[in-house]
Formats: sequence, structure tokens, C-alpha cells
Amino acid sequence: MDNINVLIIEDTLEQSDELVKVLLDNNYNVAGVAANYTDALKLFYEKPVDIIIIDVFLDGKPDGITFAESINIIPHASKPFVFLTSSQDRQIFERAKLTRPFSFLMKPFNELEILYALEMAVEKFYEQTNVFLSEEQNTVISNDSLFIKKKNSLKKVALEDILYIEVEERYCNIITEKEKFVILISLTKISDLLDKNKFIKTHRNTIVNTDKIEEIILADNLIILKGNHKINLSDTYKDFIKKMNILS
Amino acid sequence: MLIIRFFLNLLIVCSPFLLFSQSSNKQLNEVLKKKEIEFKNELNFSKASNFFIKKNWDSTLVSSMKQLNINKNKELADYCHFFRGYSFIEKKLFKEAKFELNLISKKFTFYSLVNKNLGDASIELKEFEKAIIYFKKIEKLKSLNQQGLKISLIYQNLGICHLHLNDFIKAEEYLFKSLEILEIEKDIINLFCIYNDIANLYYIQYKDQQAIPYFEKAYDLSKKTVDFDIKRKASLNMSVVEENKGNFKKALFYRKESAQWKDSLNNQSKIWALADYEKKFAVAQKQKQIKVLEVENELKNAQRNTLFFSAIGLLLILTGGVYLYAQKVKNGKTILRQKNKLDELNATKDQLFSIVSHDLRSSVNALKNSNSKLSATLENKNYDELNHLIIQNSSIANGTYSLLDNLLHWALLQTKQLYFHKESVHLYSVVQQIEYNYKPLLLDKSITFENSVSKNIFLFVDLDSLKIVFRNLLDNAIKFSNENGQITFSANETDSDFCQVIIQDTGIGMNENTIKELLYEGELLAKKGNSEIIGTGLGLQLCKQMIKKNSGTFNIESELNKGTKMILTFPKTK
Repeated sequence: MDNINVLIIEDTLEQSDELVKVLLDNNYNVAGVAANYTDALKLFYEKPVDIIIIDVFLDGKPDGITFAESINIIPHASKPFVFLTSSQDRQIFERAKLTRPFSFLMKPFNELEILYALEMAVEKFYEQTNVFLSEEQNTVISNDSLFIKKKNSLKKVALEDILYIEVEERYCNIITEKEKFVILISLTKISDLLDKNKFIKTHRNTIVNTDKIEEIILADNLIILKGNHKINLSDTYKDFIKKMNILS
Repeated sequence: MLIIRFFLNLLIVCSPFLLFSQSSNKQLNEVLKKKEIEFKNELNFSKASNFFIKKNWDSTLVSSMKQLNINKNKELADYCHFFRGYSFIEKKLFKEAKFELNLISKKFTFYSLVNKNLGDASIELKEFEKAIIYFKKIEKLKSLNQQGLKISLIYQNLGICHLHLNDFIKAEEYLFKSLEILEIEKDIINLFCIYNDIANLYYIQYKDQQAIPYFEKAYDLSKKTVDFDIKRKASLNMSVVEENKGNFKKALFYRKESAQWKDSLNNQSKIWALADYEKKFAVAQKQKQIKVLEVENELKNAQRNTLFFSAIGLLLILTGGVYLYAQKVKNGKTILRQKNKLDELNATKDQLFSIVSHDLRSSVNALKNSNSKLSATLENKNYDELNHLIIQNSSIANGTYSLLDNLLHWALLQTKQLYFHKESVHLYSVVQQIEYNYKPLLLDKSITFENSVSKNIFLFVDLDSLKIVFRNLLDNAIKFSNENGQITFSANETDSDFCQVIIQDTGIGMNENTIKELLYEGELLAKKGNSEIIGTGLGLQLCKQMIKKNSGTFNIESELNKGTKMILTFPKTK
């Protein structure tokens, strides 16, 4: 489980410091702090970034919106972002609103508000709303990661690290090469959201990352994954083997 | 001598002929009137008969010709021919008259009249033998009188015809027959004629002895009439008789008498002409009067019309005026209403400004004082006091900030500049976020805060306006709570669409009037009471408007010294 990397675009040092403090306190990584549009773009492409906090006004110009517009144009490059603003000026909002999905946070903000805004930004960006704050689910699944709410902050697990997933009622056990943890999500939801070519059901309550399969022993109904994890293969779900490129 | 006698005869023959037209027409006219009704559709026939009755001969000729050209009805054709024949006789065109009268069929009701007219025309054309044939035809009929024909006249004419043909015996016979009838009827004029005729008859035969008594009888008769012409003729005849006798003295006397009668006749003619002229003049006068009256009438009409139209015009102007006035009054009222509202709003704004500036002034002043105290305390190194002062400063700053924040939002809301975007909002988190800022204040007053909102409630509202509402309500709750009080946020899902949010405190509460005042739907802010803890009322006003904008409701339940319940409802996320 990794911390979330947050890029801060804020020209007021005082506020960026406060933001950094809040984020670090809540186990977020700060990918960098940019004070202007150019720095922001540079950092955005150089560093790993999961979420961006953007101040609408940089040096009195609405460059924050320009930045959001820029990253929005590039397909698959955009990341969840939160606007910071001290003004509820309608005109600015009308422009900012066009950079969908749009979430913002009014200054002044407290710790809870910042964390809430980050969570909302992720939910909206991946179009899986009302997840982190409900009691039924705590994970948002993007195309390459799981965003998991842990206590007050978000954590991230790369999908490619996952070996397999074991479902137990409303919970899922995620087993990676390094660790094993529990997330709150239903089987139907998780199987809907995961790439069906990569994650395959091998059993009623088991989903396996096909990239991690080392060996399939049909005689014993066993799948052996990386790190010598043995998984049962149920007869009902054997069909997937036909789709695989089998080396003889 | 003979020439004179012949001349006399001519004079006399004319008389009965003229007389006839008066007597026979009465009966004919009646029949014509009936026929007119019968042939109502034949316009030309009615016209012709009308003109005939009125003795307008030329018009009769024209109309009857038109009728003949159009219609082939035999009966009507007979009438028309009759009209034409008669008219021609009257116009002295006897040949044409005979032609027309001969065209009439023998079935014609007044065929005897036709014969009579044919006879008359023949006499005028001096075709006495033919005339005799026509008159004899009439003589044979028995019902002569019914057609307005007098047998005496027929006899007279027959006599005259024979006279002209020098058949004196027959002439005498007929004339005496006529005389016989006329003496019974005592028709003076005809009697006069017949006397003359008989006298002439004898005179031509040189039977002077027999002739003279008849001349004298005629002369005597003439004295009884007023007709100057008859008198003149009688006198003239007498004078001729006396002249022939050689009695010139008497002849002269009669000649003079005749001249006198002639003058009288001329005079009478003049008088008649004058009378006629006067009549014409009178008619012209009358015509003029009529014209004048007509013109007057027209003038009157025109005047009346002008009056009428001007009345309508005036009425229209009046209506328009009234309408415009009503509009003006209405506009005035609207303007007055708007003015009052504007005044009210302006008053609200003024009040707000004064309150806000007062509040701001006092808080900043308090901060100033506190700061100078702080520096003084710092010099004295009284650290316990220092901490207290800092907390105090921060609370003053917080209050001022929230005041300014409300003011900003209120202004944005009033100018419709506020960004408003409804989205799914996690109620529990929002309450936590709001509480976070008030933690020091709650701690300061030792108030327990409880967020008992279910974590599964999502409202569909604008996040920032919801925060403003909660912030203000929590602020109020803390303000009006005593130390060690309790504030609870809770939520009930009332139905599938709405969720109730209740903010409850155990503070001083408020009375019904205050609640009423707070819930009053108006632009005016609640009046500031004398108590220092009652604020501008701006906060609650803002709350109400924000809740309304979020399609929510707002209610207050309170009990004095027990606490207040603020009950809000908001739409849920579906």
C-alpha cells in the first residue's frame, strides 16, 4: 500500500506550507509545490502525481484554471484535482466549471475540509461517487490502481501488484507480493470495475491477476501464482484457460 | 250665303264630339283600374292606362307602343290599340286613329266605344257614309247606356251625317229622336246643339219659318248657360238669321252681342290663362319652398350628424382620458409600492451597515485594547494572563471573521453573484468539518458536541451554502448555550426525498415572539435587542435564504431556558 502523491500549485507560501503540513500529517506524499503555471507543468510531468491541488489565482491571474484546462486536453494524462479559491465570483466559477470533473474548496479551509475535498475529487474523477464516506465501500478503482480509504487518508495499491483477491461477504482480501489487507467493496462491484481480461474469477470468491499466474495444475485444480501462492480452481470457471496463450 | 251656313254647321258638329269624352270615361276608367290590378306585372300597360286616365296622350302612345312590342296578350293588345286610337283622335290624327281602332278585335269589351270613335273619326275625315255605318252598328245594340254612351248622341251624330249627305228626311228623323231624348234628360248643352242642328237642317232647306223658332230656342237656352262660347254661337246664329231676313238692326244687335260674348270669352280665356299662370307661379313658389325646406332638412341632418359624431368623439376622448388617468393612478400606485419597498430595502441596508460597522468597530476596538493589554502583560511577563488574552483575541477575531464572511455571502446572494452548484454531500463529514473550526470555542465553554448523524446520509445540496447554514446555526447554538451545555446534530430520513437535520442545544431558548420574528419572511433584519449577545440577525436571514435556495425548509422549536431545536429539511441524493 502506497501513499498518495499530491501536487500542490499554490503561490502563497504560507498556505502551501499549511497544506503540506496537513497532507504530511495525514500520510500523503507531497510530490511538489509549484508557484506558477510553468513549474506546475514541469512537476506534473516529472513526478508521479495522483491528485493535484490547484489555487485558481496564481499571481493574480487565473492560471490555475489554465493549468487544469491544459492537463484536461491530454487524454489519459489528467489526474483528479481540487481547486482552491477564496472568491465565490461567479465568472471565475463559470470558467472553472468547464474543467470537468470540477471540485473546489473555499479558503479558508480546515484539515477535515482538505481531506474531504481530496476524497471527493478522486470519487468524481473516477465516477464512483459516495464511496469513501459510506459504510459499505471504501475503495475506488481506477484503471491502474485501487484508492483505499484508510482512517482519515487515502492509500493506493497498483493493480499490477495484486496477486489475487479473495471475497468474503462485503470484504475483499487483497493479496500482493508484499502484503495482505482488507478492503470494503462488494464482489459484483469489484468484478465490474476490474479489467476482465486481466482479472479472472477462478472460484466463486476468488479473482486472480492472470499476469501473476506461474502454473496451472489442472489435475489438482490448482493455480500457482508468483510467490508460490496456491489457489483453487473451480470447474465452473475453467473456461478462461482457453483464452490464454498456452506455451506447450 | 251657303258658305256662311256651312261654316255654322262645322261649328256645331264639333260640340257633341267634345262633349262625349267627358261622359263615357267614368265607366271606362273604373274598368281600367281593375285591369291595372289584374295585370300588375305589365308595367307598360299600367303606365299606359295611367297616362290615359290622366289624358296625357303622348305618354299614353309611347307606353302602349312599348306594351304592344313586348306582349302578345290579346286583351291587353286590344286595350293598347284602343288607347292609341283614342289618343290619336285627341291629337287630331284621325287616319292613324282609324287604323289603330280597326286593329281591335270584336271581342273587346268596349267595342261599341270603338265603333263610336271610328264614327267620330270618319265624321272628322268627312267620310259620312262610313260614319253612318259605324253609328248604325251602335244603334242596334241595346245596352248602350251601360257603356257610357248616350243614344241621343248617336242619333245626333247620325243626323249630322245625313245632314252633310243632304239626306234631310233621315237627318230630321234622327235629330228629332235625339231631341226627344234630350228634352227628357234636360241636357242644356246638348239640347243647345240639337236645336242648332235642327235649325241648320231647316235653314239649309230654306225652311226659314221652321228654322227660326229653333234658333230662337237655342238662343233662349244659351241665356241659361254661363258658357260664353255657346252664348256667342247662339248670338252669331241669330245675327246671321236676322241678317238674312234683312233685319239689319237686329242683326247688328245680335252681332254686337256675339262680339260681347267673344270678348267675354277672350277675357275669360285671359283670366284662365292668368289663373293658370298664377297657379303655375304658386306651384313654382311651393316648389321653391319645398326646395328650401329640403335644403334646411339637409342642413339639419348634417348638423345632427355633426352633433352625433362630435358627441361620440367627446365620449371616446372622455373614455380615453379616464383610462389614461386610471393607468396613471395605477402606475403611480405601482411606483409608490416600489418606492416603499425600495425605502424598506434601503432602510434594511442602512440598518445593516450601521449594525455591521458598529459591530466591526467594537470588535476591532476590543482587539486593539486587548492587544495593548497583551503588550503590557508581555512587558510584565505575566504568562498566565498572556494565554488568556490570546484566547480572547482569537475569539474576537473569529467572531469578526464570521461576521464579515456572512456579510460577503449576503452581498453575493443579493447581487446574484453567488456560485451555486448542487451535488451529493456527505452530511456526517460536513458536520465534522464545521465542528472542527468551533472546537476551541466549544472547549472554552465546556460544551459537549455530539454528531449523531448517520454516515449513510447524502444530501443533494450546494456544499458551501450548507456549510454557511451550519456554521451560523452552530455559532448561534454556542452563543446562546450556557457553560457545560450540549449541542447535538442529528438527522432523520423523513421520506424518500427529504432528510431532516436537527440542531439541538440546551441553551437559554427563546419565546414565541422571537421565533415568529426570526421566521418572518421579509427582507428586514431582526431588530437588535438591548442584550449584547443578540447579533445583527444577518446570519439567520442568510440561513433562511440559503436553505430556500437549496429547496429546503427551516423551522424553530424552542423553550425558554431549556433549549432550542433548529429543524431543517434538505433533499436527499437519489
